[in-house]
Amino acid sequence: MKKLLVVLAVLFVTVSMFAATDYVIRDYAGNPGGVLNVGTLGDPKTFNIVWAQETSSTDMLDWIGYHETTGCFIGSDQGGMQTVPLLATDWWFSEDGKTAYFKLREGVLWSDGEPLTMEDVLFTFNDVMFVNEMTANGNASYMDANDELPVVEVVDENTISFAWTVPNVWGWKAVGATDILPKHALAEAVANGTLAEKWTVDQFTDVVGCGPYVPEEFVPGVYVKFVKNPLFWMKDSNGYQLPYLDEIIYTIVGDQNAELLKFEAGELDEIGPTAENFPRLAEKAEEMGWNTVVGGVALGSNFITFNFNAPDPVKSEWFRNADFRKAWVYALDRASIIETIYNGLGAPLYGPVSPSSGFYNPEIEEYGYKYSITRARLSLKKGGFSWKEDGTCVDANGNPVEFELLTNAGNTAREAIGAIMASAGEKLGIKVNFTPIDFNTVVSKLLEPSYESVIIGLTGSVDPGSGWNVYRIDGGLHMWNYPPEYSEAVSPEEYVLPDWEKRVDEIFREQTAAVVEEDRYNLFAEYQDIFADEQPLVFTIAQNYLLVYDNTLMLANDDPNPAAGAFWQREGIYWK
Amino acid sequence: MLRYIVRRIILAIPVLLGVSILAFLIISAAPGDFLDQYRLNPSISKDKVEQMERQFGFDKSVVVQYFNWLSQVVQGNFGYSFTYRIPVFNLIWGRLAATLALSISTMIFAWGIGIPLGIYSALHKYSFGDQTISFIAFIGISIPNFFFALLWLFMSAKTGWFPIGGYISTNYNELSFFGKAGDLMWHLVGPMVTLGTAQLAGIMRQMRGQLLDNLKMDFVTFARAKGMPEKNVIRKHAIRNAINPIITMIGYTLAALLGGAVLTESVFSWPGMGRLVIDALRQQDLFLVMASLLLSSIMLIIGNLIADILLAWVDPRIRFRLS
Repeated sequence: MKKLLVVLAVLFVTVSMFAATDYVIRDYAGNPGGVLNVGTLGDPKTFNIVWAQETSSTDMLDWIGYHETTGCFIGSDQGGMQTVPLLATDWWFSEDGKTAYFKLREGVLWSDGEPLTMEDVLFTFNDVMFVNEMTANGNASYMDANDELPVVEVVDENTISFAWTVPNVWGWKAVGATDILPKHALAEAVANGTLAEKWTVDQFTDVVGCGPYVPEEFVPGVYVKFVKNPLFWMKDSNGYQLPYLDEIIYTIVGDQNAELLKFEAGELDEIGPTAENFPRLAEKAEEMGWNTVVGGVALGSNFITFNFNAPDPVKSEWFRNADFRKAWVYALDRASIIETIYNGLGAPLYGPVSPSSGFYNPEIEEYGYKYSITRARLSLKKGGFSWKEDGTCVDANGNPVEFELLTNAGNTAREAIGAIMASAGEKLGIKVNFTPIDFNTVVSKLLEPSYESVIIGLTGSVDPGSGWNVYRIDGGLHMWNYPPEYSEAVSPEEYVLPDWEKRVDEIFREQTAAVVEEDRYNLFAEYQDIFADEQPLVFTIAQNYLLVYDNTLMLANDDPNPAAGAFWQREGIYWK
Repeated sequence: MLRYIVRRIILAIPVLLGVSILAFLIISAAPGDFLDQYRLNPSISKDKVEQMERQFGFDKSVVVQYFNWLSQVVQGNFGYSFTYRIPVFNLIWGRLAATLALSISTMIFAWGIGIPLGIYSALHKYSFGDQTISFIAFIGISIPNFFFALLWLFMSAKTGWFPIGGYISTNYNELSFFGKAGDLMWHLVGPMVTLGTAQLAGIMRQMRGQLLDNLKMDFVTFARAKGMPEKNVIRKHAIRNAINPIITMIGYTLAALLGGAVLTESVFSWPGMGRLVIDALRQQDLFLVMASLLLSSIMLIIGNLIADILLAWVDPRIRFRLS
């Protein structure tokens, strides 16, 4: 009895030492308990958020609260826009727009019981995220237009400010989405410069987070288990401390067919099926008790890039010709590609921003792009091309049009696009030499640049601002028209910089300073318009977001989509 | 004998050096490197990629990179995996148990059934039993492993007799010792049978052919002529001579023990080395690839050595030559 009293007293003192937790209240009311079984195709590579690169790793970190799910200042809403207060209860800008303020939530505890304080926030930014060597992605996304990092200042007990030399919305977003790291667990590794070797796959249970679940067990190649975090700082509308589910089990499967069989046998509760399997699952859904979801199209897309500085100057001339590029916009039969490889579960794209993003500009549809060989021929004619008697397409100087098209072997979608483009070329009298080659060779040819044309894709996100490295003229992935300063392969005499490129570059610099969201929308709308008109990258198709899950599983997300998937606000998932 | 073994081990050193030089050169000659995935990431700047190039030593020449690696290896440090950021042997050890469990049980399955069946077939040449066994063996040899694996998984899903792939159940830790062993065996059957049936046919046919050849030899006729019981003729003379090439085969099989079987492992979600190494190759995770190549070479050398020692043990003629 005495012992119990002492324990209670100690407990009381410890609890009262910290400020009362400022709980986030979610408006759901579910049933506690149960286990969620999910499949994943690859082993996690690391449990260290600042070094994790692939989804096989970040999908796991999501549950512990990292990867922009719970452990950052501002979370994403169902549209992928940063509007949901998480570790910050409030945020605002100074009048000149150069300084951003965040108010830290009080009383949040790390999963090992330590309080999450301003010390952790300062540590995260000053010692880790702003140091280029410390993270896999480097510190570039925090810099402003003058390549300066912000000055961090603690304003009062719970408020912190980030001051840039010019207004920097992109930097503010990056700060808002940064996962706060526990100083007490990582300070030593940071001081030794060994942060990358911390929280690796053999240290799973050491990982400390502030998310709804905590690491339980990881058996390489077999499974990953998480259990409920009793210290989590969110409650539902009945005052129940979230999360609902007791345990999350990820089974690592080696192959998509095995994952599908496991789902059909009821061993897994959820699956993101391939477009090929989806119709079959949808047919049985009612009988089997599944919900099926066909969400918006993916944020990233495959596109064709023509090198404005191709090794052969005759070909560069064609590739710089907007009418030549537009001919391909018309000549690609996107509908049949979607039918062949996506079972009809996809949509054609004519610009760089996906219709699933809140920044999509629907006005570009007025350009009226669609599949038409006749229009493709008209566009070529307008660009100064003509046809010989045998049907061969020739340029204004009489050179027959023939070029090389590369992509990485093994990517079914890209290989299908290439094959259809080559056959479209035949109809236009153009010889397209399509060869799928090794991924690494494609990358080195793209970046050198020594290619003629390539089909490739980049990861997309809701905010087009994340593409700065692609669209700015000095960007490392400005692959279609690298300036001579970037590469010796581009000769300064031949290099041409069109006005619209300068404008896009300007837009990507200006948008970081546009504190009002509507101004950013307008800037990005203009950029999409320029791209739709000039087609420097010919965008192709994107697949719909597909999901099938047990219909007694209640997701917090009533509209899963590419910007907010099945496990958006995972703390609110429960069994009916 | 001991001197022979020591000599073989010393001779293995230049072989391993040669293997490592060749492997390092070939991997480096392949286009691109591990950082290509970073180069195509829109949120990573060029400066960052250059900083990582320096960190991983990609800015130095291949020769310098090789000698840096070699000097570390001599000190027992096989380097870090670029992807996992942990020492490569920690990764390999983690996969060793599953790899060995599968390859050893497959070996027992294939050899344990293949050799007796081969003997039976040879002794009952052209009988109905021989024809049936050969027919089934050829089916095993001609169905590709991944397809057999998928059929097995499909069968498991429909009947529920076996798990749909995997290594252990998710409640493994709560099981008793015998429960654990049973659980492991239950998961093991599928991949073992898949890999085993493919090897079994080869072993069986080899054993059958060897034994048939030997049964035609003069010493068998002689043994029979002097009135030796048929059982002894076969057991002590024919089989003893026929087993020699089979033992040489064991040496190569030992080398393949750690290699794993990528496709079968993938379909059965078996956490073996095959999947780890294939991913490493695809991502050009240099040190992980090097370590696994060296390990395979060492296993090949050891396997051959063991096969030679076994040969000396069963064959007095070889024993005589060695001493």
